[in-house]
Amino acid sequence: MYAVETKNLTKRYGKTWALKNLDFTIDENEIMVLLGPNGSGKTTLLLILATVLKPTSGQAKVMGIDVSTQSTRVRQIMGITFQESRGFWRHKPADILRFHASVCGVPKTKRDTLIEHILKDLELWDARNKLFMHLSGGQAKRLEVAKVFVHRPKFAILDEPSSQVDLRGKRKIWAQILKMREEGSTILIATNEVREAEYLADRVTVLDKGKSVVCDTVRQLKDSIAGGDVVELQIDTSDAQNLKRALSQIEGTVKITNSSANQFKAHVSMAESWVPRMTDVCYRSKARILSIRVTEPSLDDVFLHFTGRTLRRTSDE
Amino acid sequence: MSQARVILLIARNDFSYFFRTKWLMAVLLSLNLSDMLVVALVYNRMMTFNYFSYYVPAVIIMGLFAASMDTGRRIWLALREGVIQYELSLPVSTQGLVIAYLLAGGAAALVYAGSLMAIALIILPASAIWSAFLLLPFLFVLAMGLAGIAATLAAIASTHGEFFFAFQNVVQVTILALSTVYYPIEIVRNSLPPLLVTVAEENPLSLAAEAIRQYTFAGAPIEIGFLAKILVASIPFAIVGAVAYFGALRKLQINGKL
Repeated sequence: MYAVETKNLTKRYGKTWALKNLDFTIDENEIMVLLGPNGSGKTTLLLILATVLKPTSGQAKVMGIDVSTQSTRVRQIMGITFQESRGFWRHKPADILRFHASVCGVPKTKRDTLIEHILKDLELWDARNKLFMHLSGGQAKRLEVAKVFVHRPKFAILDEPSSQVDLRGKRKIWAQILKMREEGSTILIATNEVREAEYLADRVTVLDKGKSVVCDTVRQLKDSIAGGDVVELQIDTSDAQNLKRALSQIEGTVKITNSSANQFKAHVSMAESWVPRMTDVCYRSKARILSIRVTEPSLDDVFLHFTGRTLRRTSDE
Repeated sequence: MSQARVILLIARNDFSYFFRTKWLMAVLLSLNLSDMLVVALVYNRMMTFNYFSYYVPAVIIMGLFAASMDTGRRIWLALREGVIQYELSLPVSTQGLVIAYLLAGGAAALVYAGSLMAIALIILPASAIWSAFLLLPFLFVLAMGLAGIAATLAAIASTHGEFFFAFQNVVQVTILALSTVYYPIEIVRNSLPPLLVTVAEENPLSLAAEAIRQYTFAGAPIEIGFLAKILVASIPFAIVGAVAYFGALRKLQINGKL
């Protein structure tokens, strides 16, 4: 059984299609990252799985439970961090977490210790007596994420969990997310931050215009781009042209250029296999390798490859 | 965790929200206490009848009304700030969420009006405490009904706060004008057509004010039949409010906005 499964899931707002016949699965105990620009349908999918929105048609199940017909049961095993912080304006962070923990059934004996630990870990302890309406954007976002960390649900949904948070805070949030997965949670994260996706994802689903474009592990996605890895070489050789020809015949080479007699730039598939072959070719050609620099494609490149557009540009649109 | 327990936790949270709004508390208390302790006591010496006993129940009912209507403001805030979406993700049914809001509205209004009643009891005979205590469950149902009206207005107003406050004022003027909260039924009979006289007589606010006047302030024996009329008149408001608020939440789930 999948932790999450959607079949032909469709959501329309008037004439706008937010999701179009989406088929999507998440395995148990997996971190799935949804990557896509604004308006790609990420948040809509999360809100449907969180039972906050009703699908227009199709089916979505969480742990085998239908989100439309058994929404209360889904809510009992799921927790969500919203993109925008949702808090009671006149409550303090500790009160908000205490309310959340009690409603979500966190045992009373563990509640206060857990809340204190999470508040300290996310550096909210000093702000614990501020009213929610007086928190900064970053503090409010960390509080929003803290709800899920206190709850530790079987299925956790996080919508842009580290947006508005500084780098130090991001690291702490990511560490907590990984810890939750270790403890057995299945996690679905929506983000348009490539670094976050690369750091956390077991698998990535690229969403564009309400459709799943591709879904795979980060490694597989990167490897699926022919010539995605770039290997920059500095080689001491007396015959650059012959060496270039020999290098271009190595399996996995897509394109090779040389900017000067001993500077080569190779666009290759799977650099980890290509580089040993390249050293072998150089050895046989009596060429001395002075330096090697390997750059693998980012998920932004993956998005560009599969959609023809960059994440950054489409997010700004 | 049982649904009932989650509903009570959500209701308690919303209930506490009412009392955390300090400016609202200050406004309501200053208005109601000045009415009770200044207007009622001073006017009492200028009238030929016991004006205190007539006017203070009206202030208590007005306090109950204002505190109940604050449910609508809280719902409107929850809609505006997106808190309602957070609540829709909590382990409670959508119907349970509606019930929690009405319970919280009823409880907050009851505590507020009960406090005003307790202040009035300082100068009433000890026997009034018992009848006041017996009236509380009926006032709670009335408060839930009024909270239902407030929920309906909040659902109609959607995220437009100014609409909600305008609707609230229209309802307040209408529901109080067509009642005997502030003036005796004779005045209504002399100035309004028979149909509206019946409306004023059966208005749950009139019935509640009359019950406090008769049973708590005048010391008349309690008639269960009269109290039942308060229930019968209040329950439809609570049901309509619950249905309207539930409808608003459904609309939010389907359209993503109101």
